[in-house]
Amino acid sequence: MEQTARPKLIDENGRRLDGRGPTDLRPLRIEVSVLEKSDGSAYVELGKTKVFAAVYGPKEAHPKHLSLPDRAILNCRYHMTSFSTDERKTLGMTRREVELSKVIREALESVVFLEEFPRSAIDVFIEVVQADGGTRTAGLTAASLALADAGIPMRELIAAVAVGKVDGRIVLDLSDVEDKYGEADMPVGIAPRSNTIVLLQLNGKMTKDEFRQGLMLAQMGIQKIYQAQCEALRKKYESSMREA
Amino acid sequence: MSFIPLKERSFAVRIMNDKIYKLLQQGKRIDERSPYEFRKITIQTNVVEKANGSALVSMGSTRILTGIKVELGTPYSDRPNEGVFSVNAELLPLASKSFEPGPPDERGIELARVVDRCVREGKAIDLEKLCIVPGKMVYILYIDIYVLDYDGNYFDPSVMSAMAALATCTLPRYSAAGERLEGEYMRVPIRDVPLSATIGIIKDKVLVDPCSAEEGSLDTSIVIGMDSASNVVAIHKNSPGHIPLHLMESIIDIAEEQIGKMRALFREVVGVG
Amino acid sequence: MPIYFSEKEVVLPGQLLSDDSRRAGEGTYVMDGKVYASTVGAATIRDGKVEVITFKGPYRPAAGDMVIGVVSDIKPIGAEVDLGGRITALLKIRNVRELTSLNLKIGDVVYAKVASSGLRGVFLELNDQFKKINEGVLLMMTPTKVPRLIGKRGSMISMLKKVTGCNIMVGTNGLVVVNGPSPAKEFAAISAIRLIEREAHSQGLTDKVLAHVSSLVGGEAKHGADGKA
Repeated sequence: MEQTARPKLIDENGRRLDGRGPTDLRPLRIEVSVLEKSDGSAYVELGKTKVFAAVYGPKEAHPKHLSLPDRAILNCRYHMTSFSTDERKTLGMTRREVELSKVIREALESVVFLEEFPRSAIDVFIEVVQADGGTRTAGLTAASLALADAGIPMRELIAAVAVGKVDGRIVLDLSDVEDKYGEADMPVGIAPRSNTIVLLQLNGKMTKDEFRQGLMLAQMGIQKIYQAQCEALRKKYESSMREA
Repeated sequence: MSFIPLKERSFAVRIMNDKIYKLLQQGKRIDERSPYEFRKITIQTNVVEKANGSALVSMGSTRILTGIKVELGTPYSDRPNEGVFSVNAELLPLASKSFEPGPPDERGIELARVVDRCVREGKAIDLEKLCIVPGKMVYILYIDIYVLDYDGNYFDPSVMSAMAALATCTLPRYSAAGERLEGEYMRVPIRDVPLSATIGIIKDKVLVDPCSAEEGSLDTSIVIGMDSASNVVAIHKNSPGHIPLHLMESIIDIAEEQIGKMRALFREVVGVG
Repeated sequence: MPIYFSEKEVVLPGQLLSDDSRRAGEGTYVMDGKVYASTVGAATIRDGKVEVITFKGPYRPAAGDMVIGVVSDIKPIGAEVDLGGRITALLKIRNVRELTSLNLKIGDVVYAKVASSGLRGVFLELNDQFKKINEGVLLMMTPTKVPRLIGKRGSMISMLKKVTGCNIMVGTNGLVVVNGPSPAKEFAAISAIRLIEREAHSQGLTDKVLAHVSSLVGGEAKHGADGKA
């Protein structure tokens, strides 16, 4: 609630406010098939950032005139609960939520075999329960798992993380405070198998060299997140094979 | 695996209507419960650190997340010595394919108002203790309810999660002059824990806590809210169809018994009630 | 032709399975001459093809499938049938009289054969296999697990029917109708179907299901359980 002066984000030992080094991820927890009623779902927790994603479909697109004759349409809604942020978020979709829904949808479209389901729709819903930085990347990470969990054919998974510039340093996985008071925030979504970028935004200022460094750091973080994604999926489905 | 959620269609599946009623005549239900048996309830509190209070309550597969944010503001002019609260509810499209994205529709608004009625008329909160400077400065509690997973009956777990979030909600303290007392916090003063029981009616038969497979087959249903002294604090018939008058009295008795059991559970986990 | 997985290994979308693009089967895709998994599932080799048996996934209608659906609308050209909330099929009729004689109402459950499925939609056939189901509990299960419920040459489903005494109709689309002589037997059958869905890919499933359902039905069905499926 109170407006304080800009805090020092990295101390003389290179430690960040929560004790992390510049290249550390926050504690990560990933689970799949967490919601009963959806066709696929996932939960991603990165530090205090907590995100659910659920997938419905493919199903007949309605209204019919919005359907495409050669592929499925992918709908995506990124939404935050009112109590997810420090200040209570107003109800309804903000312009920010509309923008993020679009960039996440486009990232997912690049890996889903939409052409296998003409005239259909696939709905992806992302709900941010608590926002402490990196919600769009955690949301994208969760959404790609929910799609896989729904059994929807896709080229590969997507893992995402934010990097940024804080107190002049390039750091991995920005927290809310670092995002707010830092110099730059750059969310990166990568499809790790093909090594392609599917989401990339930058808010702030970096030199070209810092950008290169940031992108490298993001790749490193994404590898870790990708491993955790694979583990969560394998754990879920291997247990269903072992139970007998 | 699940039963086909009938509410998610505009029509009821005939054979399911027949089966559900036939089972009920034998004192049985489609998910093997007895008519007066609610589903397994779990309560977790403080699940969202950024909220002043929060709770995740599940009733079977129906899951409700409530968070409370506290702000400061001015009281209503006709109640200068009382704090203010408001309840909002959203049926998230994550929770069911029958929930559409967009601003709360009539069902969301209905849910919010039923919870509001239970909390307000059940005198759950000592609103006078939420006044800091009379006429000038009071706490405003925003109680926001989100349906995360929907398998029928979102009313009862929503009332319960609102109460669990309230009972564990912390407020920053202020002096009588309206100065922030640094580092000092207080709990929301809870006076009572009203809870609700939803009763479904099919012809002459009655059941509690309908799951989504049953909801489409009900003639109608009614939500009864009660405080800890078993006073009825809210009644809300929430779907079309009729209730035979002679059933009404037993419906209240059944609600009382159900709420009693829920209260015992609530007290065990949350520590009040 | 190297293979990059062990039999029945859980594989994930994008996982490399083989270098030989000619071996790409269901649940896979080819890129730059290599075969990758396109869904989460158990990788296997069937008839020389690399396949991924998906754990979960949408129903994909194919001609010849026997499906269960709910009549959602009656139109002059036929009855619309909801095949589980994702797909609506059309039961085509030759004339209105045919429809009247069926006496179909919205909300009726029907069992029918898929005549065709394509860009123009899914069509059901009104042949002698067509049935209106008049009684039972309608369940939904993951369509990809229906083959396990049926079992090899129908072994699982006939064992279930025998031990529980229930009539069980299974639609390829994942809708199932259970109708039995008593609630206890219906519950036993439903519970067994749940178990099959949960553990569809585990070993020794038939024995496990038999033990489960026998314990539920208890003495009631002793005479029915002697012939082990």
